[in-house]
Amino acid sequence: MKTQSLRSRRRKAAQFKIGNRQSAIGNQFVPRCLGGLGILILLALGFAGNLFAADVTADFSSANELYAKGKFVEAAAAYEKILQTGVVTPALQFNAANAEFKSGHLGQAIAAYRLAEQLSPRDAELRANLAFVRNQVQGATVRESLGQNWAGTLTLNEGAVLTAVLFWLTLALFSLRQLQPALVPKLKTANRILVALTLFSGLVLGLQAANHFASATAVVIADNATARSGPFDDAQSVFTVRDGAELPVLDQRDGWVQVANGAGKSGWLPARQVEVLPGS
Amino acid sequence: MRSILKTLAALLLAALSAGAAWAATFTASLDRDAIALGEQATLSLKFEGIQPQNAPLLPDIAGLQFQYVGPSSSFSFINGQTSSSTTYNYLVAAQRAGEFTIPGMRADVNGQQLSSQPLKLTVTPAGAPSAAAVNSGSEPAFMKFTFPKNKIYVGEPAVGRLEVYIRDDVQNFASFQLTGSPADGFSAGKPAEMPNQRRRVQVGNHVYTIIPLAVPLVALRTGQLTLGPFTGSAVVVLPSQNQGGDPFLRQFFNQGEQKQVALATELFKVESVPLPEANQPANFTGAVGDFTMAATAGPTTVTVGDPITVRVQISGRGALDAVKLPAQDAWNNFKTFPPTSKLETSDQFGFQGTRTFEQIVSPQNADVHELPALTFSFFNPDDGQYHTLTQAAVPLTIKAAGTSPLPALAAAKNSPPENQALPDLLPIKENLGALATSAPPLLTHPAFLITQSLPVLAFLGALIWRRRTDHLANNPRLRRQRAVAQLVRAGLNDLKKFAADNKSDEFFALLFRLLQEQLGERLDCPATAITENVIDENPVLRGAPDATRGALRELFQLCNQARYAPVRGTSELNSVSAKFEKTVGELQEVKA
Repeated sequence: MKTQSLRSRRRKAAQFKIGNRQSAIGNQFVPRCLGGLGILILLALGFAGNLFAADVTADFSSANELYAKGKFVEAAAAYEKILQTGVVTPALQFNAANAEFKSGHLGQAIAAYRLAEQLSPRDAELRANLAFVRNQVQGATVRESLGQNWAGTLTLNEGAVLTAVLFWLTLALFSLRQLQPALVPKLKTANRILVALTLFSGLVLGLQAANHFASATAVVIADNATARSGPFDDAQSVFTVRDGAELPVLDQRDGWVQVANGAGKSGWLPARQVEVLPGS
Repeated sequence: MRSILKTLAALLLAALSAGAAWAATFTASLDRDAIALGEQATLSLKFEGIQPQNAPLLPDIAGLQFQYVGPSSSFSFINGQTSSSTTYNYLVAAQRAGEFTIPGMRADVNGQQLSSQPLKLTVTPAGAPSAAAVNSGSEPAFMKFTFPKNKIYVGEPAVGRLEVYIRDDVQNFASFQLTGSPADGFSAGKPAEMPNQRRRVQVGNHVYTIIPLAVPLVALRTGQLTLGPFTGSAVVVLPSQNQGGDPFLRQFFNQGEQKQVALATELFKVESVPLPEANQPANFTGAVGDFTMAATAGPTTVTVGDPITVRVQISGRGALDAVKLPAQDAWNNFKTFPPTSKLETSDQFGFQGTRTFEQIVSPQNADVHELPALTFSFFNPDDGQYHTLTQAAVPLTIKAAGTSPLPALAAAKNSPPENQALPDLLPIKENLGALATSAPPLLTHPAFLITQSLPVLAFLGALIWRRRTDHLANNPRLRRQRAVAQLVRAGLNDLKKFAADNKSDEFFALLFRLLQEQLGERLDCPATAITENVIDENPVLRGAPDATRGALRELFQLCNQARYAPVRGTSELNSVSAKFEKTVGELQEVKA
């Protein structure tokens, strides 16, 4: 781990040198023309980006080191610190989830795994760990349906890009038919297949979008959370849920989240006791 | 006249009698005004001359319980007078002895306000029958309570025995219910009949059948505690005392006399003592009884932070509900999760069975080599001593996190056999991967959505082009018009070029050809057929402005002259080119 840390520091230093050289080149062009100013800005941005990436990589390695030493709470905090900078990678979310689980925070681990799953839905290791942690959860919980699971094998962005590409290809083929009518008989089969694929992909994208934008899941992050009949501390208790329970969100109001427990009951949980995630 | 008076008198009497029948009354009555605790009285609310819609609501009276039985109706026609009544019946049971007053009740029936008179009910304390009464056989049924101990420890479970004695000549014993089970200081379970333990005994001169009921009890506090008197009631059917009638028929049709009996036991005093403080183990959690322990843990080869399932089974006799798994101080190198438990009882009272705990623990560092010994302490009331059960330490192999090979995964929730490794958490990832920042989905980006309109626009462009091409292909006149326009545009450039180079012959040859092409297109005839004569002969050109026709004529003449006239200068050729351009513009305005 130390070697790895050193390696990352060396990489950071090398990136710093390259950045300096690029800055120097940019400086020679500044007085000459306005185009030089643009190049300088681009180089400066690239330099800053390199530095930022090096910092994140170093922080990531440090957090991994804490994890390897069995300091899971500290590792979880270190991963969280990186996440707070706005950087997101599937590996970062995955490691954060592992650290949360080993710190005894089932709910936070599941929330992190699910966020990682939204970035990298076909990661077998991620799915395995999520299944493993879910098996530790006690009490009521509501999982995704088969359809949601299936639609979730692509990220929303992947689904959007795939549908866009198919849409472009289909319309390109339609345009080609107009420009070269002689090709119409030859393109007939390809055209039908593309239209079918586009429609299917669009349907899946619609499901994904509906799941993402119209539904949300609350993951319980408190040991024992009591769902109440209303969004008030003194409202009657309806049911209790354990750490890690995943429940569909029905409503959110004034620091309270209304959830259903899958057995026909609904109740309000304090927002501080749950992590609300988008559908998928 | 006399008959008319008789008729009027009869009608008057009928009206008076009907008026008497319509006078509604509401009365309340008890079948008896004194009962023993455990017995029940019947309260009847009778409405005469009126029919209420629903049974009236009774007032809440502390110490009395009312149970609605149902309504009964009667209708009578006596000496020309009709009367009807509806009676609502309630069973009244007392929860304590004393004088009770059932206040007068008001009922609003069809707008009539009716009220009943208040009633008094005296409830005398229930008492166990005296030994003399029992031995004399005067009691058709009585009840006894026995408890196995006079001294009991707090938390110690015990089963009391409630015995119902039924005299042999009782033809039917029904509607038995316990009306009171005072067990102050105890947690009492629901009394249940002890199966296969009915027996017959001789008491005095009579034989009684004993129905034993078990009452599970757990002492909750220390001190002098009392059990009972347990009270109950039942309806017995005794042989009829009426000896009249035919003895032969009586033996077949003797339906007996029904009688309600109150049952009560004597008080039973029990001394509840606290658990001894001496020698109480540190990890004692209040388990009282006699238990054994079995524990397993697995998997035994794990990575730091991975879960190990510890399964502990506490079996034996005692208050299993109160058995808790103690915190294990020696497990300080492990993170422990709250245990789950499952109770399986083998007796009807829940005092015998096995409580199984499952607890997830995870080692916090690689220096751990074993799961330390598990201990469980309980107090055995039989010998009055504390006992501590110890399960030997379980050797573990703990690997540092991030170094373990990928284990096989399984998502099954059921616990695997002990010798099989549990599914494990896969290790962390070493590479950060491509950096990204949190960004909203592409579908919410206006640029992405706008981009999707480009192929649509391209398709529309291609469609329009196709339509125009097809339109052109189907219109040769238009096609020629465009071709000529293009030819003229190119020819004008060539004319300027020839003028600049002072190539007079080529200039006029081209000019003549362009004139032919343009006029041929306008007049829709072959270009080669165009001569100067068409200007005056063709009806289309005859409709053109005179200036245009003059210019055309001049241009034709210039072309003809150029064949014989000397070479002209560049400036003159340029002016001819300009004139041609202007004339062509005017010509294109002419409607063909």
